Amino acid sequence: MKDSFFRSMTWMHTWVGLLVCWLLYLIFFAGTVSFFRDEITLWSKPALHDAHVPQERIGLQHQQIIAGVEYLKTVAPESNRWGIYLPSEREPWLIYAYEKPRPEGKRFGGWNDYYINPETGAPIQQPRETKGGNFFYRLHFDLHYIDVRTARWIVCFASLFMLVALISGVVIHKRIFKDMFSFRKNKGSRSWLDGHNVSSVLALPFHIMITYTGLITLIFMLFPYPAMTAYDNGVRGLFNDVLPTNVRTQSSAESAPLVAVETVLDQVYTNWPNADITQFAIRDPNTASATITVRAATGTQVRDQTPTLLFNGVDGSLMAKTRDELSATEVFYDSLTALHTGRLANPLLRWLYFLCGVAGCVMIATGCIMWAKRIRERMKKDQVPSFGLKLVEGLNLATLMGLPVATSAFFIANRLLPITTAERADKEILVFFVTWLAVALFALFKRAKQQWIMLAWVNCIACISISLVNALTTNGNLISYVLNSQWALFSFDLMCLISAVLFIVQAKKLRTQLHAPTAPFRANRAGKSNLREQNT
Amino acid sequence: MHAQSQKNSQLLMLVAKISQYYQSYAYQLAVVSRFFAAIVGGYLFTSVFTALMSITLPLKKSDAVLLSISLTIFIYSCVFIWVFAVKSLKTIWITILLTSSACGLSIALLKGWL
Repeated sequence: MKDSFFRSMTWMHTWVGLLVCWLLYLIFFAGTVSFFRDEITLWSKPALHDAHVPQERIGLQHQQIIAGVEYLKTVAPESNRWGIYLPSEREPWLIYAYEKPRPEGKRFGGWNDYYINPETGAPIQQPRETKGGNFFYRLHFDLHYIDVRTARWIVCFASLFMLVALISGVVIHKRIFKDMFSFRKNKGSRSWLDGHNVSSVLALPFHIMITYTGLITLIFMLFPYPAMTAYDNGVRGLFNDVLPTNVRTQSSAESAPLVAVETVLDQVYTNWPNADITQFAIRDPNTASATITVRAATGTQVRDQTPTLLFNGVDGSLMAKTRDELSATEVFYDSLTALHTGRLANPLLRWLYFLCGVAGCVMIATGCIMWAKRIRERMKKDQVPSFGLKLVEGLNLATLMGLPVATSAFFIANRLLPITTAERADKEILVFFVTWLAVALFALFKRAKQQWIMLAWVNCIACISISLVNALTTNGNLISYVLNSQWALFSFDLMCLISAVLFIVQAKKLRTQLHAPTAPFRANRAGKSNLREQNT
Repeated sequence: MHAQSQKNSQLLMLVAKISQYYQSYAYQLAVVSRFFAAIVGGYLFTSVFTALMSITLPLKKSDAVLLSISLTIFIYSCVFIWVFAVKSLKTIWITILLTSSACGLSIALLKGWL
């Protein structure tokens, strides 16, 4: 492409990066937020705020499962699927769920959840209808409003570009260790470059790991060919081979009584004496084809495949169980997925994941700002900016500042939308996208520094209003969270306030730059180009 | 004579202009073609290469597949970067097509499709 390897890599890094940077920002942003998916869901459901981990969490499980099956037997004997979700450290509540009747032509009718106080077994006030953290989790790889498969291909494509940009970024980076510690302030695009370098280099292993493993999570869609070559029935064949519990029995309409839960539980505790059961699911209950799946927690192991036992739901015999020992390759493959999802992370590691994700967002943001800055600096004084430059600047403003505003709007909507609103969860998401669209329209018309300042203030106010609205509409606030040691909720509020402060800093910073238009570097640059003109 | 030289220079200018347009166009075409080679060519090569790997690796069937699947992204990104590092587009396309068809042929022979 260009004459030297170094220059061709620089060229590729710039263009591959620019093409997908806004989509990547969305993916990184949503992914980073998703590390706290359960905590955000908790925040979104004030009815669950008072739930706390029971003292005898594991000891209670036996009783909870038996009560759950009894409940589901009376409430939803006709349902196709039952599920009992047991309280965990991060989600300390008990859910009895059953599948709602399937609409015509659909393969799944959606879950009907029933929340129970795990200690007393009595129902609690049912939480509002909201997607909470799951919205960001889905947004991260399914986007929204478009077909899931198409969305995943788009995300794969962007991730591939990300990986390529990362690798070429390392190649073009000659002084990788020196740049780790150099940050030159107030030097125009030079500072943006340094910001780009610092955020990339510091968290580089994370960036490469998360992009690579992210592609691995969607690998069976992207590259089904190895499985298709080795197995006659492709990916399904592989799954059947690797996951012994991936057995799907043919549904039967013939009714048969469900086996006594005790029989199944006795076998569970024989197989896993100290089991921390997370899920007890029954497929086709009360029919001849009933199966019972029992899953246990993986804990902090680097393992994504949950230990599973599969039972026949009529005679209670053990049909399949996951292997205790995985082969080296299985461990390798499984750990790739486990590293991406970070379910293994303890709170400290989770925050580290989060901070690295933020560094990723900063890396992408500084990258796309820098591109526009460079072009601006190279422009002559009376030159009219090209359409491409205007487009990039508009997209920068709309994405980098619009996405945080939309996120704040989503959280505020969660508190302010009436509980009885029809399709409430979808309305919250609508608020998210409408806000974002409004910012995008705003950026379409004006995108000078003044507008950046304005949006920084909007963001700041939005962040503060989240905790404010939360304090006004629920009976908790920053101080009461500390007193009751509700650390997840406290961290959420604190994050809102920290972001608000950061947006104030940004606005102040931009304002001082606005009043001092001749930064030394820029004057220098301009002087050079004048000289060059004189020479030619 | 004066008129003719003027006409000549006009013609020359036109030719120069056309070639200039062509050059800028050719550059864009080369860029598009290179991206195409990187994305589609890279995908093609990775697919057949890892498919071949999955049936030739001396491991258990499921292990061989999982290992080749885990390495797909690595191979893909290497090919992607290689496409941008090599100067001649012709070399790139010939290499990709030759290696891919060689892999494809080996798969067909090993699986007994031929």
